[in-house]
Amino acid sequence: MAEASVRGGIFKGLIKITVILGAGFILLFLLKKMLPVPTEDGYRFFPLIGSRVWIWVIAQLHLNFAAFVLGVPIFAVAMEFLGWRRSDERLDRIAYDFTKLFTLAYTLTAVMGSVFLVSLPLLYPKFIGHMMKILGPTWWLYIIVIYGEVFVCYYYFYSWGRMKDKKGIHVGIGVLLNIMGILLLLITSAWVGFMTTPGGVNEAGELVSRWRAIHTHMWIPLSLHRFVANVVFGAGIAAAYSAFRFMTARTEEEKSYYDWMGYTSAIISIGASLLLPGVGYLLGVEIYSFNEQMGIQLMGGFFAWLWVMQAILIGAILFFINYYLWISLHKMPGGERYFGYVKFLFIVLLLGYAVWLTPHSMALSLEEARRTGAYHPVLGKLGIMASKNTAVIISYLVTFLSFAIFRMSNKEPTVPWAKKGQTIRIFILVASTIAILALGVYSYLVSSGVRVKVLSPIQFGIFFLSVVGLYLLDHFMYKGARIIGEPQWGKMPERSQYALIAITVTFTWLMGMLGYMRAGARQNWHIYGIMENTSPDAYLPAHGVASIIITIVTLLFFLLIAFIFWSTMKLEKMVGEKR
Amino acid sequence: MKAGLLKLAMIVIGLNLFFVYIGLYFLPQSESRPRKVTKIEEGISQEELIQAGEKIVFGKGECMVCHPMQAEAGMRAPAMASIGMEIQKEARERGITPEEHAFEALVNPSKYVVKGFEDIMDPVNGPPTSLTEGEIVAMVAYLQSKGGKVTVSYPGSLPILKKEIAMTRKK
Repeated sequence: MAEASVRGGIFKGLIKITVILGAGFILLFLLKKMLPVPTEDGYRFFPLIGSRVWIWVIAQLHLNFAAFVLGVPIFAVAMEFLGWRRSDERLDRIAYDFTKLFTLAYTLTAVMGSVFLVSLPLLYPKFIGHMMKILGPTWWLYIIVIYGEVFVCYYYFYSWGRMKDKKGIHVGIGVLLNIMGILLLLITSAWVGFMTTPGGVNEAGELVSRWRAIHTHMWIPLSLHRFVANVVFGAGIAAAYSAFRFMTARTEEEKSYYDWMGYTSAIISIGASLLLPGVGYLLGVEIYSFNEQMGIQLMGGFFAWLWVMQAILIGAILFFINYYLWISLHKMPGGERYFGYVKFLFIVLLLGYAVWLTPHSMALSLEEARRTGAYHPVLGKLGIMASKNTAVIISYLVTFLSFAIFRMSNKEPTVPWAKKGQTIRIFILVASTIAILALGVYSYLVSSGVRVKVLSPIQFGIFFLSVVGLYLLDHFMYKGARIIGEPQWGKMPERSQYALIAITVTFTWLMGMLGYMRAGARQNWHIYGIMENTSPDAYLPAHGVASIIITIVTLLFFLLIAFIFWSTMKLEKMVGEKR
Repeated sequence: MKAGLLKLAMIVIGLNLFFVYIGLYFLPQSESRPRKVTKIEEGISQEELIQAGEKIVFGKGECMVCHPMQAEAGMRAPAMASIGMEIQKEARERGITPEEHAFEALVNPSKYVVKGFEDIMDPVNGPPTSLTEGEIVAMVAYLQSKGGKVTVSYPGSLPILKKEIAMTRKK
């Protein structure tokens, strides 16, 4: 594919996006003429499933694809850069494989985006009219950046083979592609930020300052959160793709390559996810500072039980990745020396999971809990942030340990201070665990402000410091280590690949749920406190209904992703036959 | 190969079904609908006004999101149990009537913040809470009933409330 003409490829990409956007605009124009006029308060109704569910499904699908095409390029260019600097062809191949994937996914992303952009002004004309009045110019900027993104993306992909001797410039193009992606993310986050934490308008909702309407409380923290989540998600999709290819591989060489690709992607995904609590914390702080009531409602009101669901999902992801790493010990010569530790890691992980899953109260809402005083005398104590944060951090520490054990399992340190190094390692682990637990217990004795603003960040800080410390220690201690045997990539049971797929499925479901919660924080407002939602859909559905919709979105997304995976294989086959 | 792919598909479908099962059968099922306006009729009795106020405090007003019923460590806002008594005490200290103090606390909460708490409350007559004047009077009746003397009535207290709202707008 990369042998095709660069100019031809770019031309094809630009024509494709123009046709998709053009078709969207024509459809919008025609449907506006054909459909009945909106209701007095500015709504049209989507048949059968209702406007809200339709927008919900399309928006979340578009968001998933957008996360994919913005997240995977970050990963691809990083791999290309590393491959170039280390002269590692395997890294270059993985980067190219990912570029193939996201280039193909662009079309589906654009189609979803176009359907979304047609649906919104048709179903919610008054709301979109108001948004255009406030943030209209950013919409035109969005279209320009989309064209820029498509141009650079297709250039990056089609010039891969031709620029193999100009890697520096090619990596530069990849960086430019990611800058475009970040710009798109910033623009779309500005829209969501304005809807949730509006600024720059007066009480009547009229524009006072466009910059303040863009630069709202939520804008930067939401963009940061989405950026990191995109890396996690993009790498997760790459891991799912590797699992798919591993299962369909016909040769040992292919199996070996996709096994390595799956491992690399999964570790990047989980590694980047370590940053999510931190950036999520920043987002939370900004929501609270915009409106304390909104923050409390989101964290402890109607959505309280969805945070328990979040714990179920993230805990499951941690179990899947640990399971994958424990199985991976079998392919490491020398790995059997660590089999005995697995059961202890499992027990700690299980205890952490149990604490994390414990709800604060069995009451439906915070109001009900306060009215009835429905806290369990023992379990109620485990269901609060003090214990949950501690449990999460310890679970992450276990996950890092599983990773470190896997990496070092086929090596024996030869440095003269190896014994001292082991002692330091145990000291870091024990000291950080005790400090995290002690801070967790102390958190019960202080006000929520001190707990949230001081102690939780310190706990996370200790965790990060110990992870960095352990990583550096291993790096120096295992320099020039005796290799017991090379990892036997490809020698993995099929169930390891199920774990990889399970990580991505769970993460996609989690993204769907958190997206719903973020939108639901506005409650019955299109623009919080400025424009009320007066449609029949102006309510938050029961958690079961929300779960059904999130599941439908996740299944549809995986169906489309499977199609992209299949198309990639088909294209590879066609190119192979041509040659 | 086909069997492997089938297994992967089963994982995707199986996990989704598992999550939706939890959502349907382990999580509480109720909707969160916008709160309806509580209509306060002219000449409503004090007892009925307090009852209406309680409904608003626990419902549309969303007061319990921040205010606990009983005082507890680390609370974000004053406890409800003795708030009527506190209103009387603070009003006396400020040299204004309890009604003026309570109405001001609801429509212009930043003007006087109780020592030890942060200025986090939005005016209840503006969005997103958007209480009507009748609802605010009822709410004050309920608050005063918690350890204090109920002095408000509807529509008798409306001029004081309107004066407080007008002062907020002027500001």
